[in-house]
Amino acid sequence: MHGLYRWSAKWWPGLIPLAILWLVAAWVSTIPLETDLTARGTAALKNTILDKSSVTVAGRDVTFAAEAFSEEGRRSAVAAVEATPGVRLVNDDTRLVAEAKPFVWVAERDNVRVTLWGTAPLPASKARIAEAARTALNGTEVSDRMGLKRSAPPRFDAAAMLLLDQVAKLKEGKVTLSDTNVSLSGMARDLGGREAIAAALKNLPEGFTVAANEIKAPPYVFQANKDPVTGTLTLSGYVPDNTVHAALAAAAGRKFANEKIVDNLKASIGAPSGFAAAVTTALGALSRLSTGTLVVSDREVKLSGDALYDAAVGQIRAGLAKELPQGWPIKAEIALKPSAAPVDATVCQQLFEQNLAKSRIRFETASASINADSAGLLDRLVEVAMRCPTTKIEIAGHTDGDGDAAFNQSLSEKRAMAVEDYLVTAGLPADRFSTVGYGATQPIATNDTEEGRLQNRRIEFLVRQQP
Amino acid sequence: MIYLAMFHWGWLLGAFLLGFCMGWIAVVYRGRSVSRAWIQRLSVLVAVIIGIAVAKVLPGRFGYWLDLGLALFAFYLVGCAIGSWLRDIVVTRQQGRPA
Repeated sequence: MHGLYRWSAKWWPGLIPLAILWLVAAWVSTIPLETDLTARGTAALKNTILDKSSVTVAGRDVTFAAEAFSEEGRRSAVAAVEATPGVRLVNDDTRLVAEAKPFVWVAERDNVRVTLWGTAPLPASKARIAEAARTALNGTEVSDRMGLKRSAPPRFDAAAMLLLDQVAKLKEGKVTLSDTNVSLSGMARDLGGREAIAAALKNLPEGFTVAANEIKAPPYVFQANKDPVTGTLTLSGYVPDNTVHAALAAAAGRKFANEKIVDNLKASIGAPSGFAAAVTTALGALSRLSTGTLVVSDREVKLSGDALYDAAVGQIRAGLAKELPQGWPIKAEIALKPSAAPVDATVCQQLFEQNLAKSRIRFETASASINADSAGLLDRLVEVAMRCPTTKIEIAGHTDGDGDAAFNQSLSEKRAMAVEDYLVTAGLPADRFSTVGYGATQPIATNDTEEGRLQNRRIEFLVRQQP
Repeated sequence: MIYLAMFHWGWLLGAFLLGFCMGWIAVVYRGRSVSRAWIQRLSVLVAVIIGIAVAKVLPGRFGYWLDLGLALFAFYLVGCAIGSWLRDIVVTRQQGRPA
């Protein structure tokens, strides 16, 4: 031991090359060491949840800056860096992610893209939402501008996912989640989109409420076009369901008995309430026009075309205003069809028969009230009567064989008179008409079948040249 | 420490060999010795420097360089001690042999 002490007094010359070795080692090893520690420090943070994480190394000292989403997460991240082999000191520049009050998340859709704004609670949640947006909006560009903040409401992710599905149903618009309040505005892509969104919002996670739903839908359009040249009635647009479709087709069949009906209607939800009744009424008004178009757009009823005679213009307008449900605005542009050339009694008789060949004037059961479905036919009969002003016309009522003969006699007379009233109200002189009722005495078919009875219940016109 | 030793094993080995050579020479070296008083003063200085390193007073790269210097110095000293001890054995054996 004493020798070691003695020899050590002579070890000093080696210190000079040692110092040189030290300088060279310091010069050569510093950068690789720092690079290695940076890689190790970053790797140690792989399983932590951080935002804006950065690891910078000077010598063996690590400056660790990051935003953590919980105090526990922050501490464990710092501990992970401290535990990295070779690290001497950790300069802790970590802090907690700021809280957002209120916690706002927005998905905004325009013609080109969907932009996600606002804040998400965690990087994983942000990624999940962006991915869900790309899936839900297949083919649409998704721009992710979400930041990260704390204090999201519970079940935020589920709510955001559900709302993204609704964004997919929008043409353009905005969905905002502010804490637990959901606000929606914009235009639905399809008819019924508004209803589909409203239904989906009922499945929002517990605690979330719809503060405002101002989603609009494209107008719900029903269109009918009456073309006298081709003799067709073309129905297009939408009906709420197959039941209403069938009901409207049947109503059109009754009101437009002489026209061929081209039915291009499609079923879609989103119809305004009272749709079927309003359209049926409006179809009745269209049936009284010679040529015309009916457009029901949401609740607006637009009827344009030519009425067959002067009095009909006012009657159609007034009838629509009276019969349409409240809250259905009417835009009627009804002109008068130019008068047709006068004809003699023989042609006039033929025209009456032509008009009554495919359809007949209908009355309410056991009553002399003219069924509303017959208004179109009666208007055409008025027009025919107007074309032969120098004739006298006998209106004959007939019933089927059912019931009491005296009642049928009386009913046939009253029905003939009801028709006369209609013609006179239309502006024709009363002295041109005479009425007669034949009860069931002149059947043209058997009264044993419903079909036969239907044919027997009729009004006939007999045109005579005035002496 | 294990990380440092693994990362710098080449340099540390160099310091050890340097020390070993110096220790080997020192046994028969006739040159000037450092006085006991200086050895004590230098020991105190080294102790202070070790204290500074342990307390991690120097920041960043300076801290690392100090650690590196101390590690090299330690390996040098160990090398010196082993070198001197082995040389002493060799010298003693030669002196004990009849000429």
